[in-house]
Amino acid sequence: MTNAIQKLYPSTKMSIVLAVILFTLMMPGYISQYSVFPIFIIIAFISGVGTKFLSAFIKSIFVLVLFIFVFQCFLIPSDTVIWSKGILTLYKEGLEASLLMTSKIIAISSSLIWFFLVTPIKDMMFALEKAGFSKKFTFVIYSTIQLIPQMKKLSQTILEAQKSRGIETEGSLMIRLKAFLPMLGPLVLSSIQQTEEKVLALEARAFSATVRKSSYYQMSKKPVDYLVISVIFIGFMIFVWWRFFK
Amino acid sequence: MSMITMKNVYYQYPLEKEQVLKNINLSIEKGKVYGLVGHNDAGKTTLCNVIRGFIPSFYRGKLTGEIELDGKTIQEYSMGDLATRIGYSFQNPFTQISGVKETVFEEIAYGLENLGTAPEVIGEKVRELIAMFKLDALQEKNPFELSGGQKQRVALAAIIALDPEVIVIDEPTSQLDPQGTEEIFKIIDLMKKKGKTIILVEHKIDLIAAYVDEVIVMSQGEIKMIGKTSEVFTNKEVLTYGGQLPQVALLSLALQNAGITMPTIPITLVEAQQAIEKILSREV
Ligand SMILES: Nc1ncnc2c1ncn2[C@@H]1O[C@H](COP(=O)(O)OP(=O)(O)O)[C@@H](O)[C@H]1O
Ligand SMILES: [Mg+2]
Repeated sequence: MTNAIQKLYPSTKMSIVLAVILFTLMMPGYISQYSVFPIFIIIAFISGVGTKFLSAFIKSIFVLVLFIFVFQCFLIPSDTVIWSKGILTLYKEGLEASLLMTSKIIAISSSLIWFFLVTPIKDMMFALEKAGFSKKFTFVIYSTIQLIPQMKKLSQTILEAQKSRGIETEGSLMIRLKAFLPMLGPLVLSSIQQTEEKVLALEARAFSATVRKSSYYQMSKKPVDYLVISVIFIGFMIFVWWRFFK
Repeated sequence: MSMITMKNVYYQYPLEKEQVLKNINLSIEKGKVYGLVGHNDAGKTTLCNVIRGFIPSFYRGKLTGEIELDGKTIQEYSMGDLATRIGYSFQNPFTQISGVKETVFEEIAYGLENLGTAPEVIGEKVRELIAMFKLDALQEKNPFELSGGQKQRVALAAIIALDPEVIVIDEPTSQLDPQGTEEIFKIIDLMKKKGKTIILVEHKIDLIAAYVDEVIVMSQGEIKMIGKTSEVFTNKEVLTYGGQLPQVALLSLALQNAGITMPTIPITLVEAQQAIEKILSREV
C-alpha cells in the first residue's frame, strides 16, 4: 500500500467513478465512451493494479459484452442487413444498439473495477462509518464483499473432501456438474449456519451497543484529495458547459 | 454477594420435545470462579447461553423461571449492556471470529470500537492484551488463518478487552496443547485476581481442581451437585453422573477404603504430596 493513488481517500476515488458515470451517460455516441477503457488501463497500471484490472475485466465484463454483441447483432432481426453468410446475418440496428450499450457498460464497469481494486475494504468501511452510515449498513456491505471469497473457499474445502472420498470432480461438464450439485446443499446450509453464528460473535463484541462506533484505524483527506476533487469538479463543469451550453 | 441468581429455570429449544434445562437453581457469587462440568449434551452450553441472554433473545424456545444479574432481571438489560457486563467466549472456535477484521490486532480492538472507545485508549488496551495473551507473533495475521486454539485465545482476549464483570468461557482449551491450556488457566487466574466472576466449562478435571472455587455438576439438563471444589471433587457421587474425579482423589479414596486413613482427601497434586508427607511422618 505505498501507491499514492491507492492512498487517496475513498470518496475522492468515488468522485472519479461518479464523474465517469455521468460523462458516459451524458455524452452521445460511443467513441468517447470506448476511450474511457484504455485510459483506465493506464490509470490501473499507474495505480499498481494493471494486471489485476485486466484479468478482472476479461473474466467478467468482456464475456458479458461478447454475449450482448452476439445476441443483439445476429439474433434480433431488423431491416438493414450489413453482412450475411449461411445462417449468420449481421443487422445494422443491432450492431449500433450493441455498440451504444457496450460502450457504456465498459466505461462504467472499468471505473468501478478500478475503484474496488485500489480501495481497501478497510478504507471503504472507515469512510462509510465516518460519513454517518450505521454499523449495520457497513456490516452488510462488508459481509457481502466477503461472501464470494468465503463461498469460494468453502466450496474448495467441500470439493477436496469429495475428492478424498473418491468422487470425480474434474473432467467433462457432466462430471463437474455431478460433483457440484450435491455440494450446493451443504454450501448453502453452512453459509446460513455461519451467518447465524456470526451474529452471536458480533453480539459478544457489543455490536448492539447504542453509542457511536469509533475506529482504531484512522485516515483523513489530504491536500491531494482536495486537489483531485477540485480538478474533477472543474473538469466536469467544463464538460457540462461544452456539452449543453456552447 | 450474588452476581447471578437463577430460580426454577426450565428451557426447551424450539421444535424439540424435551426440556434441555430442568429446575435450575443457582447462585453465582461475585468474584468466584465456577467450574461447570458434566457429560456431553448435559446442557452446559445451553446454560451458558441462558446466562448470557442469547436464550431467549437469539435462540427462541420456551424459557421459564427467574434469572437475575446484579439484582435486576436479565430482561431489564439491553443487548448492548449485556455485552459489556457478561463476556462470552464460545465453544466453537469458528464462532469466535467477527469476520469483519483483517488482523488479530483489529479483531481484539473491534469490541472497543463498538463501545466508542477513543483510538488511543484502544491501542493501549489491545497492546496490553496482546502481551498478556502472548499474541505478539500473531497480531498482524488474518483471524481466519489461525488454528482453532489460536482463534479461541484471540476471542478470549477480545472479550476481556471489554472488561466485563462476568466472564463465561465455554471449553476454551478443547483445541489447545498442554502449554496453551496452562496459559489460558493463568489468564483465568489473573482475571480472578482482578475480581471477575468466572463461569468455566471445562473437561480437564485436574486443572479445574487446581483453579476453580466451586464446581457445578450437570447431568441431563439438571444441576446434580454444587459446592466447594474440595467437597464436590472428593465425593464419589460425581461418578454416577458421568463425571470424573481427579486421579489423586480417586487414589486417596481407594487407599481409605483399603484402611489407610487420609488426613484429607487431596484433589491436586500439591495437596496429595502434602497428605502423603503427613502420613509418612506419622508412621516414622
Ligand atoms: N440449537 C439447538 N436446538 C435444539 N437442540 C439443541 C440446540 N443446541 C443444543 N441442543 C440440545 O440440547 C442438549 C444440550 O446441549 P448442550 O447445551 O450443547 O450440552 P453440552 O454443552 O453440555 O454438551 C443436547 O441434547 C443438544 O442436542
Ligand atoms: Mg457444550
